[in-house]
This record gives sequence, C-alpha cells and structure tokens, in this order.
Amino acid sequence: METHGILTLYSTKTIEYVVAISYLLLFIPFWRYVSAGRQNALAATRPARSLTTTMTEWFELAKDAAYHPGHAWAKLDGTTAALVGADDFAQKLVGPIHQIELPGVGTEVHQGSPAWRLHVDGKVVDMVSPVTGVVTAVNREAIDQPAVVKSDPYHQGWLLKVEGPRVAPTARGLLTGDLARRWIQQATDALRLRMTPDLGLALQDGGVPVDGLAAAIDQERWDEIAREHLLS
Amino acid sequence: MSDTALTVPTTGSSWFTEKILMGATPREYARSLVTPFNLFAAVVLLAGAVAIIYRFIYGLGAVTNLSQVNAWGIWKGLNVITGVALGAGGYTLAAAVYILGLKEYRPVVRIGVLAGFLGYSFAVVGLLIDIGQPWRIPYPLVYSFGVTSVLFEVAWCMCLYLTVLILEFSPAVYEWLGWRGIRERTLHLSVGFVAFGVILSSMHQPSLGALFLMAPSKLHPLWYSQYLPTMFFVSSAVSGLTMVIAVSTLARWGMRDAFSPSLLARLPHLSLGLGRGAALLLFAYLFLKLQALIDGHHIDLLATGWGAWYLLEVIGFVAAPCLLMAYGSHHARLGLVRVAAFWALAGIILNRMNVSVIALNWNVADRYYPSTGEWLIAGALLMVAIVAFRWVCYRMPVLFDHPEFEAH
Repeated sequence: METHGILTLYSTKTIEYVVAISYLLLFIPFWRYVSAGRQNALAATRPARSLTTTMTEWFELAKDAAYHPGHAWAKLDGTTAALVGADDFAQKLVGPIHQIELPGVGTEVHQGSPAWRLHVDGKVVDMVSPVTGVVTAVNREAIDQPAVVKSDPYHQGWLLKVEGPRVAPTARGLLTGDLARRWIQQATDALRLRMTPDLGLALQDGGVPVDGLAAAIDQERWDEIAREHLLS
Repeated sequence: MSDTALTVPTTGSSWFTEKILMGATPREYARSLVTPFNLFAAVVLLAGAVAIIYRFIYGLGAVTNLSQVNAWGIWKGLNVITGVALGAGGYTLAAAVYILGLKEYRPVVRIGVLAGFLGYSFAVVGLLIDIGQPWRIPYPLVYSFGVTSVLFEVAWCMCLYLTVLILEFSPAVYEWLGWRGIRERTLHLSVGFVAFGVILSSMHQPSLGALFLMAPSKLHPLWYSQYLPTMFFVSSAVSGLTMVIAVSTLARWGMRDAFSPSLLARLPHLSLGLGRGAALLLFAYLFLKLQALIDGHHIDLLATGWGAWYLLEVIGFVAAPCLLMAYGSHHARLGLVRVAAFWALAGIILNRMNVSVIALNWNVADRYYPSTGEWLIAGALLMVAIVAFRWVCYRMPVLFDHPEFEAH
C-alpha cells in the first residue's frame, strides 16, 4: 500500500466528506423524483383503462367483455376457455363485498345458474355464471382482497376461469357493444324508478352516490332487490 | 411448450403423465419439445457436455487457458462471482415481503427465489468443474476448516444459503406434488428461513468482494478499494431487483401461458415498483463508486486506457441505467424501466467480470483470454439454468397460484 502525505490525506478526506454530504443532499430530491412515479403509475393506468372500458350514465362496461343479464361478464380466451366475473353494476348494487365464495376447481357451472356467492353486510347474494363449462382456475386475489372486484372488476377482479366445449356456444348469446350499453341503461332506469324522490334528487347532481345502491333503496330488504337484478 | 399451467390434469392418468408430461402422451410431449429454442439449447448442452467430459479426462490444462499466473478464469468470474450476484433476487424479494412487509410483491417472490436458487446452483456446479479435485469440495465444511480464509466463510455461507433457498422454494414443490402437511409445516418456518437467508447473504455477498482485498497488487487500482465489500453488497441488491424485472419480462415474452391472468395483470405495477427501488439503490451505488475512486488516490489513472474502461463501466453501466430507471419510474414508462433493468444487470456482470477476471492480473505479460472450451462449459451451465427455470415454471406454482392451496 502506498503512503500519503498529510496534505494529500486532508484534501482527500475533504473531498470524501463533500461527496458524502452531496450524496445525502441529492438523495432527497432524487428519492422524491423517483417516488413521484407511484402517483404517475396510478395515473398512467387510468387512460389505459379508459381505452378498454366505456362509461355509461353510472356504470362502467369493459369493451372486450360480453354480459349476461344477471350482471356477470365473460371474456373468451381462445375457443374453449373464458374468464368470468361480476360487472360494475353488480358491485355497485351490493356495496362493499366482505367475502367472495367461489366454486372449487373442477366444478361444473351452467349459464344462468348460481356460480359464486357474495357476502355483504351479513347477508348472502348469489350470482349466476355467464357461460357453461368447468372451473379450471379461481382468482385467489379476489378471495383474499374482495375490494379488487370494486377497484378493477374487469381485469384484476376476474373470478373464475371456465373451460369446456360449451363455453363459446353459450357466450354467443351474451350482450356486447351497443346492445350491452342499451341494456345497462335500461337497468339504470329501472333502478332509478325504485329510488325515493329524495335520493333521486341527490342522484341528479351527478355520479353514483354510494356503494350499495340496493341498500340505498331499502335498507332492510336490499338483498331481495339485489337478487332481483342479479337474476339469482 | 404450449401446455397451460392452469389446465386440470386428466383424471386417472399416471403420476408421471400428470406431473412430468403435463397430461400429454409421451409421443405428444416429445413432439412439443421440437422447437427452435429447444434445438438451440440441445446443441449448447451437447457441446458443453463434451467439453466437461474432456476436462475431467484430460484435466483443466487441456480445456482452459488457465495457468499458475492466471488461476482464476471465467468459471469463477462468471459462474461463481457473477452467478451469486445475479442470484440475489431471492434474498432481496424475500426481505422486502416478509421482513419489510411489502406484501404486494408476494406474487413475484417465488420468481426471485427460483432465480436465486438457479444462480447459486450455477455457481456451485461451475466451481465443481473448476477446482482441480472436485471431490474435495466438502473439505472446508467438514474436514479442514481454514478459519482464517475468506473463502471459508464464502463456502459455509453459500452452502447454508443454497439449503435455505431450497427450503424457501420447497412449498412450491410440495404444492406441485400435493403434499399438504409438509407444505403447511414448512410455511410456518418460512419467516425464519427468510431471516437466516438475509443474514447469510449480507455475509457472503460482501465477502466475495472482500476476497479481492487480499490481492492489492493483482487487481487494477481503479477497481481495488476498501469499499469493495460494501459495493458488492449494494450492487447485489440492485441485481436482485433488476433480475426479477428482467426474468419476469423474459418469462412474459417466452412463456406467457405459464402465467396466471392475475399475475400478468399485476406485473407492470410490480415491475415499476421494483424499478423505483432499483433506481434508489443504483444512486447509492454510484456514489459509493465515486467515493472509492477518490479514496483510492488514482484519479490520474482515468486518463489511461484502463481509465476509459473504468469510466465506461461507471458512467455507461451505472450512471446511465440509474438515470433511465429514475426517468422511467417517474413517468411510469414500463418499457424504459425494463430496458434500464437489463442495462443495469449488464453493468453488474461487467463489474464482476472486471474485478475477478478483466482487471485482475492487469499488469502481467501473460494475459488471460478464455478458451473455447471454457466458453462452451459456461454457456452450457447457463443454458441448464434457463431450461430448468422453464421446466419448473410450467409445472410448479411460480407464475401462478396453485388452485388447491391458499396463497401464503
């Protein structure tokens, strides 16, 4: 190892301290700059989502999904498989979901028959399957964090993967495009008619007022209203 | 391979057909193996196997360009020193999720642990081929301790950490095999494994840097520094995060059918988060490099050819990917973050190769250049790791959650 003169040593140490202090001072704005990406990442997902979804008066519809009148959606994956889930109307109708009960892998589900169960506020609401086939995967994230069905019902909030030869034929009868938009508008109108005048006035101000539209209509019998709309 | 990882196995099929052939008949499975990638892999593995046999029959001298002066070649530099750095994904991700509580990254922990296990296996197998008497590899563990050697610590740490990685990954194997009981018992101990793994990594990652502190006259002064252990440790954390971004990107591109829809949907968000962490660590690493340069009193050497090479490493492969990663993270530009991850990884590889091979023995007349045989064997070992990664990911729940088990 080489030896250092006392002056060289001092000047070197000075530079090292300057570098260390500069690092600490620069790290703060650098950290703030990089961390701002968290908000930007969330913002970046919004326009991407608007490309794949369309907003009706109150509810969002995914452009690439097909809808069962029981407010379940299906997205075909090839000719024999589909991802299925609950649409935006369903989750806004029932309100915050505490638990989702999904069928096990290997279970056969039939179009229009109850396939999964939502636990909301101590009550249970069944939802029907949009297609017929065998469940080959379930979304564990939706079971662990049911809130994902609310935050992203058409992507991260998928519930089941269904496979089988009857998937595509049964999906053919589902609602898509303009037909789906007209259907959701009719469902919205039907919902509006049931609301009390007071709540109706509040709704005219724009936007959907609360999570749990059914409960807003009738606090006691909201589950019956929900079942009526979800055809279960 | 086109089989989907989510397909339910055919009822009544044999264990071998169900677990190994993924429900296909032997004929169908053999036909599915005939792909351009598999053919390329077969050629690389065959060439490597021939070189390995040749090395064990005729000795190191017949296959390598190693000598008494240049005793360390690419098998140590690339397979061991670099392989261990690239295998750091296991401890960084496990520490982030299980110790720091960043639960949202749980879906990519197994990618990190598997990449770590393969990286360390790559290192150990490379070492077995490299050392003159491979049957003596257990000596530092049981027979001749040599407690004053840094390699003693490296040998023990790597052996223990490889065991920890196997234990950390074992729940995925148990899920694949359907062994519920042992899986639950292993998961109960997982926080202990993770903590032990982080401690071991924080010991042997810097120790690999400390190895070169014993060679002040051999390593070029621009790379020789008392900060080597710290720099190795910090850069290994960078490597761990960027490796998970890179591996998941490549897997998404090459084996999309092995992913669960849920992980595919979350991958962009997770990659951006890992990118933010990597940008901050790269920033710290850059300043450490600067501090080491000043502390080394060799700024004048920057004006030489070696200096240009050093600046290329620091500016081209540390500062540049750091800025790109920061820019990509700030603007949520996933493509830029992915490019920066590959770039930063290239920088880590370059750094490890510079320290252990290129700038080592820089001042001797007899310069070392790897032989074709050395490249063939190193390439074959890398290919084994890639093939093993694909084989495991198509069968075991790494890129998807097993439908019959609760996520842990």
